[in-house]
Amino acid sequence: MNDIDQLIISEEFEGTDVSLLETLDHVLNRGLVIAGEITISVADIDLIFVGLNVLVSSVETAHEVLRKHETE
Amino acid sequence: MKFYIYCFAEGLDRLNKSPRGISGARVQLLKMEDLAVLVSVRRADGLALTHKDAFAHNAVVRSVFKQTTPLLPFRFGQVVTGQQLRNYVSAHRQAIKARLAHVRGCAEMNVRMIGVRENAPPPVVKPAKPVGPGTRFLLEKRKEFRGDEWRAAQTAELSEWFSEKLGNLTRDQQIFVVPSERVVVAKADHLVERSHIAEYRTKIARAIEERPETRFMVSGPWPPYSFANIELEFGSQFGVS
Repeated sequence: MNDIDQLIISEEFEGTDVSLLETLDHVLNRGLVIAGEITISVADIDLIFVGLNVLVSSVETAHEVLRKHETE
Repeated sequence: MKFYIYCFAEGLDRLNKSPRGISGARVQLLKMEDLAVLVSVRRADGLALTHKDAFAHNAVVRSVFKQTTPLLPFRFGQVVTGQQLRNYVSAHRQAIKARLAHVRGCAEMNVRMIGVRENAPPPVVKPAKPVGPGTRFLLEKRKEFRGDEWRAAQTAELSEWFSEKLGNLTRDQQIFVVPSERVVVAKADHLVERSHIAEYRTKIARAIEERPETRFMVSGPWPPYSFANIELEFGSQFGVS
């Protein structure tokens, strides 16, 4: 079972890699930190922004919502 | 020898079955006083961030999460020596125990929400003529101040809304509102007792129906990543890098 299939309430997220993004958001942005400064080399540049991309995607969706709202 | 660390756990004497850790390494359970620490031996210098290893980190944490709570997950990438880990546990034992007690029996649920900002203030009028650096600075400060005020109000409003809808189902809550002039983008992290997860889902689904203008996404249960931080950093005291 993946981390997100328990409950997704919003058609915007269906068929997306939300599960992937959610996992990376938790693993990279949250959790206990012992080493104040760690060095991680990034093989896949996209990954470093993945935690933010969850929100970036959301902002894009929000702008879409906003556009619809303004045209109504 | 260095260790890559996955999580602290309490009441864990052995691992039932653990997936492979980062870089395919075997996961071991270290006992430090009455704490269990899940680690992999890390021989290589440096650490590469890959999808595979990020998922391996989470898989190890989740395997323990299925077996026992409480646990405190570490963020990806924590590598320390055995002595540094022992020093850390010894120095912060009380804080770790307090945090473990806080998350005992609980899972984390996350809510993300996106909506149109209904009460957006009129934009700050740009001066018709070019202005000096002092005026520019003050205009920026004014904009920032208004944004902070709005975020604080929005956070308070959401906190009240969740409290009203979820009652005493949450043991702890964190709300973060993203600064934006036109939309509301927010996330809420809830610490919920495992036995109350089904009830939480029912109540949050009902609450969401009341806000059809807002898009929501709810995920969980997660190990308590967002509630693990004991706000103490090893590096500042031990010079770890």
